[in-house]
Amino acid sequence: MSLDEHVIEVRDLSRKFGAFTAVDAVNFDVRRSEIFGYLGANGAGKSTTIRMLCGLLAPTTGHATVAGKDIARDPVGVKRSIGYMSQRFSLYLDLTVQENLQFFAGAYGIGGKKQRVAVDAALERAQLQDSRNVITKSLPGGVRQRLALASALIHKPVILFLDEPTAGVSPDSRRDFWRMIRGLAREGTTLFVTTHHLDEAEYCDRIGLMVDGKLVALGTPPELKREHVAGAMFALADTDHRALRAALAGDARVLQIQPFGRRVHLRVDAALGTPVDIQSMLTGRGVAFGEIQRIEPTLEDVFLELVGGAS
Amino acid sequence: MRTALWAIILKELRQTFRDKRTAALLIVAPVIQLIVLGFAVNLEVDHVPTAIVDLDRTPESRRFADGLVAGETFEMKGNVDTGEEAIELIDHGKVCIAVVLPAGFERSLGDGLPTQVQLLVDGGDSNRAIIAQNAATAYTTQVGFRLAMDRAQQQAAALGVFVKRPALLQVQARILYNPTLNSHIYFVPGVGGTLLLVVTVIVTSMGLAREKEAGTMEQIMVTPMSPMVVILGKTLPYALIAFVDLGLVVAGGALIFKVPIRGQLWLIGLAGILYILTTLGIGLLISTVAKSQQQSFMLAFFFMMPAILLSGFMTPIANMPHWLQLVTHFNPVRHLIEVLRAVLLKAATFSDVAPQLVALGGLGITVFLLAVMAMQRQLK
Repeated sequence: MSLDEHVIEVRDLSRKFGAFTAVDAVNFDVRRSEIFGYLGANGAGKSTTIRMLCGLLAPTTGHATVAGKDIARDPVGVKRSIGYMSQRFSLYLDLTVQENLQFFAGAYGIGGKKQRVAVDAALERAQLQDSRNVITKSLPGGVRQRLALASALIHKPVILFLDEPTAGVSPDSRRDFWRMIRGLAREGTTLFVTTHHLDEAEYCDRIGLMVDGKLVALGTPPELKREHVAGAMFALADTDHRALRAALAGDARVLQIQPFGRRVHLRVDAALGTPVDIQSMLTGRGVAFGEIQRIEPTLEDVFLELVGGAS
Repeated sequence: MRTALWAIILKELRQTFRDKRTAALLIVAPVIQLIVLGFAVNLEVDHVPTAIVDLDRTPESRRFADGLVAGETFEMKGNVDTGEEAIELIDHGKVCIAVVLPAGFERSLGDGLPTQVQLLVDGGDSNRAIIAQNAATAYTTQVGFRLAMDRAQQQAAALGVFVKRPALLQVQARILYNPTLNSHIYFVPGVGGTLLLVVTVIVTSMGLAREKEAGTMEQIMVTPMSPMVVILGKTLPYALIAFVDLGLVVAGGALIFKVPIRGQLWLIGLAGILYILTTLGIGLLISTVAKSQQQSFMLAFFFMMPAILLSGFMTPIANMPHWLQLVTHFNPVRHLIEVLRAVLLKAATFSDVAPQLVALGGLGITVFLLAVMAMQRQLK
């Protein structure tokens, strides 16, 4: 089994709800043990795609295979091979930690001695060996998230779908969570993650970006930045973005000016590669500025570029 | 398949008995409600508060009044002097019936003249009014007959001749199955039917709504469990609990209210199973429509109210307009109550209750299949 093997193959996948096209002829592949980030605003078609890939919703046209199974013809086979965790960490809050794990193991047909082994392994993974008899409701959010992850993995799925897994979790827990995700990928699990935290998307091996039901970009984060964000980017301290915009009006080398916190991001033609180039460009234009730093574009810039272009 | 089914059943039972309120609703409440409703729903009329307006004040009038309140039916609440005062007492709800004995009561009887006794009855509770009126009329007839006999014998003795007793035609009513007219016997089966309705419809419909609200329904749907396993897993535990409740109601009725168990219990068991199939199906159907626990509860209530009213639990179906009587054939509560009454009181056999069993079976299978189809569509 090579690492290049595709565990998800999506071909011209579309889903319509009445006249509304939620997912419009989407194509992509996901390789084994890859962390694939599926990005987009709310309503861009992320959830509809994930629901189709999990065997919950039949496609209108096109097809897809997940773990070698056709999503339309063998949804039960798909469900057996995948794990799914939603942003709501859907656990039974009135059951204990162990009872939740027992239920989900049973739901995947794991019974008897195998169930005891699987539950113990899940408790260890979630570091909840000492809390097995604690009622889930009394666990803090981050711990619940670990439990939800462990129960989504109880049947050792080939692929794990994570739908907005870090919504409503503290930044510390989010970091821990991504550490676990990367560990899973190293062990050979493929991860399909939807998120709207663009900073989190940087952790992904590859990214697909959805805008209005269409997949508008696909690639590794550096590829996306190279392809979609042209030129060189600089951060300027102590300057006013309106004054800067006025001062540089009509200069063809300027690609984009954007306020970013207390600084301004200035994107210019790639020919201007160093802070010294910028300094000389701005000198004599009557605009105040502080320190100039060359910066790498973020996925946020990619996103703004693509969404701006689409609208 | 079996592992998954068992996992769901175990989870449902754990959740049910973890929440003390649900557990109480399912096991303790039926018994308490049987007792409370059993005592509260009581159509027997006795101790009717009564006032006497004795305008005659003679030994004969006093004897009449004392005799009237000597039994269980009437309870003496006081003497008043005028009819107006008696009406005032009825107005204020102090008494329900007043008996007016006119002036000259004793003399008129002595002279052998037609003598009248006036009854003032509060018709607000029509059932009690009619029973009290009948009881007072029966008592008056009885007194009149005794007076006639006494007089005939006195005259015969005075003349030294033998007279034949006057002819007398009497009604001799023999009440079958419930000779003491114990109304609990009539009501306990009704209480049983309605309690099972509440337990099964509310618990199933709310249970699924709760999973939708918590998002766990979505999690169940990504597992490879088939919709049928989910449906069975979510209904079997409550069918079992409802069955236990049915046993509790029959046993409680026998022990507390002396409801006889004359027929074969397996008939009640069979009717119970078919009935529970219907009510669980209705619970499932509600849950496919309702989005929240609150909506489920409201919908369950809208179903249960007419089902109880049109079951013959409180009011006889024979008294309803014809078209409404036809509607009651589609009411599972009606058929269950009929089977319970027939089997418990009349020792009905299988062939006696076959029509009801067929109706329950037909309803049960139809409703459950509809529910399964609706659920499968939703779970896909």
